[in-house]
Amino acid sequence: MNNKISYIIIAILFLSVQSFAQEWLVPGDQRNIKNPLEYNLDNVQKGKDLYLKNCKSCHGDPGKNNALPLVPPPVDITSEKMQKNTVGELFYKITNGRGGMPQFKTNISEDDRWRIVNYIMNFNPNREPVLVAAPKVKAKIMASVNEKERKVEVFAEHEVKGKYSSLGNEQITISAKKYFGNIKIGEVTTDNNGRAEFNIPESLIGDEEGNVNMVVSLGEDYIAEAVLLEEAKVGQNKKVQKLIKPGILWSTNENIQIWLLLSYIGAVGAAWAAIAYVVFQLIKVKRLGKTEH
Amino acid sequence: MEKIESAAESRKLLNKITNDLTRSIVKKDELTRFWFFILIMFVIVGLWGWIVQIKTGLGVTGMRDYVSWGMYIANFVFFVAVSLIGFLISSALHLLKIPWAKPISRVAEQVAIAFVALAGIIIVMDMGRPDRFMNIFLHGRFASPIIWDVTVITTYLAISVLLFYIPLIPDLAILRDKMSDKLPKWQLTMYKILSLGWKGSAEQYKTIYHAMRVLMILIIPVGLSIHTVTSWLFAATLRSGWDTAILGPYFVAGAFVAGTAAVIMVMYVYRLRYGLKDYFEDFHFDYMGKLLVFVCLVYLYFNVNEYLVPGYKMKEADGIHLNELFQGNYSGVFWIVQVAGLILPIFLLLFSYFRKPLPISIISFVVLIMAWLKRYIIVIPTLEHPFLPVQNVPGIFQHYSPTSIEVMITIFSFVAALIIISVLAKLFPVITIWEYASEKGIDKKYLTENDKN
Ligand code: HEC
Repeated sequence: MNNKISYIIIAILFLSVQSFAQEWLVPGDQRNIKNPLEYNLDNVQKGKDLYLKNCKSCHGDPGKNNALPLVPPPVDITSEKMQKNTVGELFYKITNGRGGMPQFKTNISEDDRWRIVNYIMNFNPNREPVLVAAPKVKAKIMASVNEKERKVEVFAEHEVKGKYSSLGNEQITISAKKYFGNIKIGEVTTDNNGRAEFNIPESLIGDEEGNVNMVVSLGEDYIAEAVLLEEAKVGQNKKVQKLIKPGILWSTNENIQIWLLLSYIGAVGAAWAAIAYVVFQLIKVKRLGKTEH
Repeated sequence: MEKIESAAESRKLLNKITNDLTRSIVKKDELTRFWFFILIMFVIVGLWGWIVQIKTGLGVTGMRDYVSWGMYIANFVFFVAVSLIGFLISSALHLLKIPWAKPISRVAEQVAIAFVALAGIIIVMDMGRPDRFMNIFLHGRFASPIIWDVTVITTYLAISVLLFYIPLIPDLAILRDKMSDKLPKWQLTMYKILSLGWKGSAEQYKTIYHAMRVLMILIIPVGLSIHTVTSWLFAATLRSGWDTAILGPYFVAGAFVAGTAAVIMVMYVYRLRYGLKDYFEDFHFDYMGKLLVFVCLVYLYFNVNEYLVPGYKMKEADGIHLNELFQGNYSGVFWIVQVAGLILPIFLLLFSYFRKPLPISIISFVVLIMAWLKRYIIVIPTLEHPFLPVQNVPGIFQHYSPTSIEVMITIFSFVAALIIISVLAKLFPVITIWEYASEKGIDKKYLTENDKN
């Protein structure tokens, strides 16, 4: 999170002194360096974790073209522009950076930079990918809140050969639903029976009554509907400052001065009572017309 | 008033009065049709404008972030103002037992009904989402002057309709009984229903006198409230030009000026069109002229207070506003309104020549236009000068000028008011026959006797 913000700040700072970059030239001797690390599952997997931690905030999810809108743009790592690079060029660019692209010489070790290169190469059309996203599995979550013990109880199942069975050892995320998305509260891992208990932290803040809408969800590898636990009274009461002074003009109905309300109701009531009385007189006229001859 | 003893003479006079006063109802000619045709054309154009506005939103008007009350609200205030005359003439003058005002009260009520109804309608037309109209009642705030205004306008409309209707009941019976050969069937059925089986018994007369009296007393506080509350829409804010304690009585005084002028014009049209020279007599115009001078003087007095005192102090924000009126963008309108709308009429109407029907009607026409412009410069200039500086917005956000759609809809509202008045004149006597007859000394018993001819 913090990384992300500082990168964005760096990016913006650099953008202002941004050279009108077209070609990103890499010195000849650097371009053809060989990758010292083996292109295997272990290195690619590690490269992926490093990518998610350091690069995803700008470059986005591979293949989704959801990079940050910077100028020049951080391209998707599966794109042609990225994949045109030789491994040497990738390593050089990651190491030294340019403009909005930070340098990683100091904060990522050389081996790890090469691992990231390996991960990028996993999407190269001329190579056999070693890391293939497993097909997503259907899963179900059941969850309930125990308000007294301040616990969320979860039971997860996943589909194995057309049948649901309990999903052990999997991470469950508990978040609070807010206006602009969900905020993570914490995680639990299910036991062998697919069950987990999450202890709700005392510091959680709810709405004015302390209610929290909680979302219980599984990771990206599963197709599972998140469970929404509505209005659980497990948070602290949020203190909302009353912005409207009581008794101010044009105010809300809770804030109205009693004398004003009474005057209004009194005046309107009296006027309409009088109107009703007049209408009643008309009825009387009609009745008189019928009886007399 | 002296009593006419002879039965024959009574019947003869009553016949003449009935004929004269029902002429507007019976008479059917090209001119009437043409008049309605023109009005309906305007209404269609106006409604089309409204449809455009509903479809595209209030962006078709000149109203923007700063000036969010435009011509519609100015028009609304004007309509509320004009409608107040119903209260002055048919109640206040009645209760003061001023006899000459009697024949005029029907006209005043017509004007009141038409204009207060349109005041309500123009507000709906000012809404960006009229489909959410019911939210006013469902989610209204009792602390908001807007809710008070909605309430008081509805109440005033109800009272005005009753006050128009109740004195008509004996007349409706006359129409029901004596016009059977001259009027279409639906109209007679309507009279029959509305006349509530009127027999003219003493008990019945007593009841309607009583009901009228209750209404006349009731309409005084309600009538005063309607325009006072409308002024509070402005006075209950902190904007310069509106934030004054005098605004309530100031509006009421201005309302009498506009309303008196409107009634004079309608009287003149009726007199000419329906040959009612003997009913709206010269002396009626003369008195109305004096009344107009009186209310103009009162309004002038309030104007002096309203502008001279803050003009002397020139507090910073007020100063910007006042300079705009005295010598800025709005100075032309401001001074014309003061001179042609107040000072000149006061001066001219002091001469009896100008209180004759035609001259006073022309003066009234001018006064009415000035009264409308006055509302415009009450509403808009204040909004153009908010307390905080206007920054980073397009120029059109700060300065307001009405668009053609707004003009169309505003014209529509006037035409619609004219339609209401015309229809009322077409369906009901413009002076109550029975009141006029008894004023002339005809015994009430002749009113309900069935003539044999
Ligand atoms: C602060 C946002 C940001 C972060 C974080 C970031 N990049 Fe970049 N990256 C950019 C931008 C902007 C460019 C385009 C720079 C240019 O063309 O001048 C870029 C360009 C690149 C290029 C060159 C692509 C080409 O056009 O040849 C590579 C390779 C690259 N980034 C890899 C990475 C890797 C690997 C990481 C993580 C270790 C990473 N980036 C982190 C913003 C970022």
